[in-house]
Amino acid sequence: MNQINENSIIVEANGLELGYNKEVILQNISFQVNPGSCLVIMGTSGCGKSTLLKSMTGLLKPHRGNVKFRNGELWGKAHLPNQDVLANFGVLFQGGALWSSMNLLENISLSLEAFSSMDKAEIENLASYKLSLVGLSGCEYLYPSELSGGMQKRAGLARALSMDPSILFLDEPSAGLDPINSRQLDELIIELKESLGLTFVVVTHELDSIFSIADDAIFLDAQAKSILAQGNPIALKSFPEHPEVRDFLTRSNGPPKMDNY
Amino acid sequence: MRLEPKSLRISPAEKAVDFHLSGDWVLHLSSQNVVDACRRFFANQESSNLVGKFYFSSSQKWDSSLLVFLLDMETKLNAKDMRADFSELPEKIQNLISFAKNRKAGQKPKLPSMSRQWDFWLFNLSNKFSQWSTFWGKWLLALGNFLIGRSFMRLSDLLSICRDCGASALPIVTLIAFLTGLTMAFVGSVQLEKFNATIYVADLVSLAMVREMGALMVAIVMAGRTGASYAAELGSMKIREEIDSLRTFGIPAMEFLVLPRTLALFIMTPILTLYADVIGILGGLTVGTQVMDFSTLHYFEQTQSALTNMWEVYSGLIKSLAFGLIIGLVGCYKGMFTGNNSASLGKSVTSSVVVSITLIVVCDAIFEIAFSYLGYR
Repeated sequence: MNQINENSIIVEANGLELGYNKEVILQNISFQVNPGSCLVIMGTSGCGKSTLLKSMTGLLKPHRGNVKFRNGELWGKAHLPNQDVLANFGVLFQGGALWSSMNLLENISLSLEAFSSMDKAEIENLASYKLSLVGLSGCEYLYPSELSGGMQKRAGLARALSMDPSILFLDEPSAGLDPINSRQLDELIIELKESLGLTFVVVTHELDSIFSIADDAIFLDAQAKSILAQGNPIALKSFPEHPEVRDFLTRSNGPPKMDNY
Repeated sequence: MRLEPKSLRISPAEKAVDFHLSGDWVLHLSSQNVVDACRRFFANQESSNLVGKFYFSSSQKWDSSLLVFLLDMETKLNAKDMRADFSELPEKIQNLISFAKNRKAGQKPKLPSMSRQWDFWLFNLSNKFSQWSTFWGKWLLALGNFLIGRSFMRLSDLLSICRDCGASALPIVTLIAFLTGLTMAFVGSVQLEKFNATIYVADLVSLAMVREMGALMVAIVMAGRTGASYAAELGSMKIREEIDSLRTFGIPAMEFLVLPRTLALFIMTPILTLYADVIGILGGLTVGTQVMDFSTLHYFEQTQSALTNMWEVYSGLIKSLAFGLIIGLVGCYKGMFTGNNSASLGKSVTSSVVVSITLIVVCDAIFEIAFSYLGYR
């Protein structure tokens, strides 16, 4: 695992216990994210990756524990998350989750109209700029249904960037994309991280993406309901402590060989 | 190529039972004789520690039906304390059997007991109640924010939704209201003719339309048309995580999505009701002038004399305000609490229509009882 400087932690999860109703899906989840780094949350399907992301983005209140952003806590005593903390977060959902009744310009402008004091022309310029950052210049007036899957993901990323967040949470950004689009999205993440100094928390189980974008990773296990391993994915692959992590990162332990079939 | 029928020869030996499988073991060939042979064997076989040995030639055709048969036989032999020996089978079949054994099928879920079903139902009921009260509370807060001018609701959204649920509904409302007035006039005229009082058809149609039928018919059309579309629209937004993405920006879905929809229906339903009242009276007029030979003026004079008390009109409009609110709230509630799959979206839409219409009828009855007791009828 990368050496963590205690003074430069941007987000910290402290003893999270997560679940739906009384069912516990994850417990004792603690980790830290350094500014300007990319943390990947990985694990097999159903291990609670998206649930963890929901809790970190203010959509699911943990049963126990809290998420700390710099010095503020995301979850207070109330049922709702702290909006001041949430204002620093940008989220890209698995399917893009663009508002289908609005064009891309309106999708990006909505939060700016609600929370900034800029006039309409300034907001439109800013929205166009955000679209150009993700390579979608000229698509301002297209509706989500007119875009390909890859373009929808990039537009979703532009919308997540609309309020200039300090940290971006991406839920399976390359899901449903072909290898070329998936690689382009990975390159975009790296570019945004390096040029804008953004911090990323990415949920994915795409191995190519994990090795190309992650500085640090946590591996969630469905049976242990907890973090099984934590560290740089290349190091985890080279020196695995747990067979599950090795199998995941090397795509091994498939079904018995069926050469004779 | 011709296929040989399946057959099974069972030959008991000293320490083993040999199962010779011949013919082609493919899915579309009948296996009734094999099933009968097995049934006879197991009916007569006592528990023992014999070994069941299976023989099958690699030149025979086979598919997964053979594998299923072999695995089934192993289970049945084990139940008689016998052991299955597949070592004489071709290697491919042995590999597939061990592959299948490594992946045991999950246990068939048992139906929950009656008491557990009750527990679940009660838990669900309390959950639904808490969901509904949270929704209602949040809606009131959103309305409060709107009234003090701190709402996220956009005026352009409200106007656009008003147009969709108001002006766009005019053709269907016109048709339904006209036919309702027409039908009432026909039905009334048959009865009134017996008393030689057919001119009172005008009173019947006008009073029924403004008091009851105008508001009720518009509400039913709105529940099926607009309430269902709210449930479908918000439900699909929920499935596509669009509502979650609003929340991550700190924009309350209640103010941004639900409030404009409910307010639009609250505003437009009385306007449509007033329009439906007029159209319904015109439906009655059509029967009065074309079938009963009244003059238009005579019919209108009679209608006017029936509607001298404007409370008759107002009472219908008051009802329609409540109906509009019910349709809007139920449609939005069902949409906002849709599950995460397309099946639940269908259920939400159906349920929004059924619940809305039920509540409208209940609410209508409450209004009528209240008006009677308060002396307004």
